[in-house]
Amino acid sequence: MIEVKNVKKKYGKKQVLSGLSFTADKGEITCLIGINGVGKTTIMKAIMALIPINSGEILIDGEKIRKESFEKVTFIPDSLAMLPKMRIRDAIEFMADFYKNWNPKRAEELMQFFKLDTTDRIADLSKGNMAKVNLLLGLALDVDYLLMDEPFSGIDIFSREQIAEVFTSHLIEDRGVIITTHEINDIEHLIDKAVLIDNGAVIKEFRVEEVREQEGKSVIDIMREVYLG
Amino acid sequence: MKSFLKLVNFELNRFFKLYFILMGLTIVSQIVGAFIVAIVYMNDAERIIYERQISSSQYIEEYGVFSFFNYFNSGWFLMPIIFCIALLILYVFFIWYRDWLGKNTFIYRLLMLPANRVNIYFAKLTTIMMLVFGLVGLQLLMLPVEVKIIKSLVSEDFQTSFSFNEIHHLPILSWLYPVRFTEFVMMYGIGLILVAVIFTAILFERSYRLKGIFFAIVYGILSFCVFMVPLLLNSFYTNYFYPNELLVLQLVATIIVLGSAIWIANHLLKHKIRV
Repeated sequence: MIEVKNVKKKYGKKQVLSGLSFTADKGEITCLIGINGVGKTTIMKAIMALIPINSGEILIDGEKIRKESFEKVTFIPDSLAMLPKMRIRDAIEFMADFYKNWNPKRAEELMQFFKLDTTDRIADLSKGNMAKVNLLLGLALDVDYLLMDEPFSGIDIFSREQIAEVFTSHLIEDRGVIITTHEINDIEHLIDKAVLIDNGAVIKEFRVEEVREQEGKSVIDIMREVYLG
Repeated sequence: MKSFLKLVNFELNRFFKLYFILMGLTIVSQIVGAFIVAIVYMNDAERIIYERQISSSQYIEEYGVFSFFNYFNSGWFLMPIIFCIALLILYVFFIWYRDWLGKNTFIYRLLMLPANRVNIYFAKLTTIMMLVFGLVGLQLLMLPVEVKIIKSLVSEDFQTSFSFNEIHHLPILSWLYPVRFTEFVMMYGIGLILVAVIFTAILFERSYRLKGIFFAIVYGILSFCVFMVPLLLNSFYTNYFYPNELLVLQLVATIIVLGSAIWIANHLLKHKIRV
């Protein structure tokens, strides 16, 4: 389980996270929802120790992050973190070189599924293909937790469908996924838990299935209630 | 250790294209320069001898023999060295900032590697030192070639014997190639510490941004002061310390400066760095 406990973070004078808490379980897809600038990306960076936090605590399976944790949890940022001059195969080789739990079979499977060409240079990829390579580099790691920052933003409908398909496949199952989005439509049917964020704090956390069954409400209905009063 | 070596290899590869261009430029400029300087000298000598109808020995009496310093002080020889040094100094900064720049922010990847983050620091430090030694080595290999070229073009009457000890009389070469081994260690040791301190200062800036620039400056000044303490003590208390004692003091100061640079870098990379 990933536990985010009462995390506070300031950028200069601006309080970006003001006591944010939530948990994300293995085998579930947890979605952080909120409009732009509410601190969704910040919390992901904080989980990966890519930015310092001012107070609070973040635990991954009960432990603070350390170097070994990066074989257990990975972050897929909204842009591809690889050198533009690299070819896809160089990026794959880089990952295989540094990570013990790189799964070459799964990488190959994803290459075929996304119809990518290993000789393509990263700088020349379309936005959709860039997002796919980004996803591939994260998904081909045998990690327990995946953090994805806006995997659907700014890409064409077919790429979106392809990526959404990944979520229902064996590529994701059993893993814990935290995903951020400001457009819930694409993935509403995929997510297990929704965490609504505003002004750097959680304003509502609920199980999507339960709310749908018991109250007959969709995530968007709840969002309307919460954000628009 | 393994990930450190992989990172060094990776960092070297990233600079290799430009590095080869630098090396090529140095080789071409210095070799072409050797030809030109020698040929121009011989042409001038022959012209003057012809015009004034004097003998070679008279010419040498009046104008002197060919001096290798004509070549070593020429732009052909010096410019590529200065250019390489300038570019490497720039790269000390760029080797960090390039990871934050652009759309594909590679620093994310580096910081998420399952290895001690301080390895990134060591790998970049090692890379810079290897790039420096590579160029220093290349220059060392080039010198005899250049001397040979000049000797083959300038007729023997106009030559003086040239020994490699003479290169120590040249300003740039004397500090690139110190005579004694201890001087060599000191020279490049100071270089290493300087780069390490600059790296840590960069990490201050990368961790605290605007405030970090202030921290970086204060940190840089403090490091410099600690490093200078033994020398200052010696100038206040002249002849108080034995040379050996001074050496030990300097060694201690060096260890403090280098040790704290590494310790702070490790702390910043682990707990304070921002992407």
